[in-house]
Amino acid sequence: MSLQFLLTKLLRGAMTLLLAVTFVFIVLRVSGDPAQMMLSDEASPESIAAFRRRWGLDGSYFEQYITYLSAIVQGDFGDSFRDGRPALQVVMERVPVTLELGITALLVTLLIGIPAGIMAALHRGKWIDHAAMSFTIFGQSVPNFFLGIILILVFSMTLRWLPSSGTGSLWHLLMPALTLATATAATVARFTRSSMLDVLHQPFMRTAKAKGIPHDRRVLRHALPNAAIPVVTVVGMRIGGLIGGAVTIETVFAWPGVGMLLVNSVNQRDLAVVQAVVLLIALTMVVVNLTVDLAYGWLDPRIELHNKKATA
Amino acid sequence: MSSLDLSPVPGQLRRHNWLTRIWKARPPVVIGLCLGWLALVVIAAVFAEFLAPFGFAEQSLLTRLKPPALMGGPAENLFGTDDLGRDVFSRVIYAMRTSILIAIMATVIGATVGTALGIVAAHFRGWVDDVIMMLVDFQASIPFLIVALAVLAFFGNNFLLLIILIGLFGWDGYARIARGLVLSTNGQGYAFAIRTLGVHPARVYIRHVLPNMLSVIMVQITLNFPEIILLETSLSFLGLGVQPPGTSLGLMLGEGRNYLTTAWWMGIPAGAIIFLTTLAISLLGDWLRDMLDPNLGNRNV
Repeated sequence: MSLQFLLTKLLRGAMTLLLAVTFVFIVLRVSGDPAQMMLSDEASPESIAAFRRRWGLDGSYFEQYITYLSAIVQGDFGDSFRDGRPALQVVMERVPVTLELGITALLVTLLIGIPAGIMAALHRGKWIDHAAMSFTIFGQSVPNFFLGIILILVFSMTLRWLPSSGTGSLWHLLMPALTLATATAATVARFTRSSMLDVLHQPFMRTAKAKGIPHDRRVLRHALPNAAIPVVTVVGMRIGGLIGGAVTIETVFAWPGVGMLLVNSVNQRDLAVVQAVVLLIALTMVVVNLTVDLAYGWLDPRIELHNKKATA
Repeated sequence: MSSLDLSPVPGQLRRHNWLTRIWKARPPVVIGLCLGWLALVVIAAVFAEFLAPFGFAEQSLLTRLKPPALMGGPAENLFGTDDLGRDVFSRVIYAMRTSILIAIMATVIGATVGTALGIVAAHFRGWVDDVIMMLVDFQASIPFLIVALAVLAFFGNNFLLLIILIGLFGWDGYARIARGLVLSTNGQGYAFAIRTLGVHPARVYIRHVLPNMLSVIMVQITLNFPEIILLETSLSFLGLGVQPPGTSLGLMLGEGRNYLTTAWWMGIPAGAIIFLTTLAISLLGDWLRDMLDPNLGNRNV
């Protein structure tokens, strides 16, 4: 892995983060007086004065921007006005619950999406292919909140097999994770299928067959690694979808994670918490994209070479 | 001039081509069903006043939470009534109007802004291009639902802001496509030829480049439109989009969520309509893509 490749990617990530902070700063300044917006209506004049001093609100916009930027870098997002605790702390408490849901959904995505895509490609035009493709069309068009509600209606209300909301056991996790994973699994299955179809028609696959390598080994050792690159990209791209989806899914299933916190904070206009969540998600996305780019370079050294040529 | 006469303007040639290609292709039954459903949705949205038996806010406290007509409810309430005794069938029809209207306006905003910025980026290149592409990357890297929620939190909710916000979702896709297409057509002979004739760049783009891009932009619309419907219905479902007393398909499902055990018919019809509509547009989009892009061939991507 070349240093230049790494540095370019890091710089891009830093730019995205800076843009996100700037975006929040601009929205905050355009939408009204931050002192009145960030503090609750009952805030005393002293606390408003203290707030103005802390965020440098009497200085020029540029000074305010610098103050804001340095506060954010130090992890100071302001205080939640619901209980006066630092916004960052309020958000971080919710992160493990969301990660539990998100990581399970990601695992489900991979466990359903990749095998479904491979099977569809190997049995192209057969019923298994049609079944898998119907699933992808279904998964990509069904609104996740509708799917969640139908599952609750069937499995919680009618059959009474699964709890409809809350956390605690694996049973609680099942429906939210499945719902969240459906759309991403559909996309991953679709990409795995087309990527596998491309690879299966390559000359080296014919060579492998001519050499008498058994079928399973050909698929797993020769085809799959070569088909993996587009799949890794699409998984990386869909993580944003998982995070966005978590907001609605957590609300549907009353899953007490960051997504539900965001919706509640928007409803109560607890702006310090809102900006903390938005910036943390931006950070997560930058880290995810960076990881995907690095995985990319590691999976296929040609890409890095190509990039180097392009930048040189 | 002679070289121009020998090869007819590609724009007009291709415009003719993709229209005839769609016209001549015999759509499979599924596509017919999709078109039928979408026609139904559009008719419901346009003629809501004439089709809905009741007003969308018309309450009748005596007939609250009545089941659909076929399940023992009153005969005049086809889909039953909600917690305020409003007719679910009528509300669904009005909600279709709101959701479709928002989605169409948002699509127009996104396609116009995105295409224009893409053309600007490709025309000026240099730092203009860099800034626009940086914004495209930014937009693509952060889940838009989150951005939309944040903006609604800071500015408060109003209908105009909601439409503009939803409109900005997906502009990056159009910008990327428009930029790429302009860059490639600028490299082609005909654009250069027209330009050397002294035609103003704006005229070149509007009269010659834009018609060439139309089919690709249409495919992008079929990709973007279901996502826009999902964004609006998600926001409304969370109670942060269309506000009561207005209705939207998402809002109806959100309101019905609290009555799942006692009156599932409050929300489920609206949810089913969202699903069928996005499904129809996705299938139609897939089919259009296969029709319009001969390069894809049988790859089934």
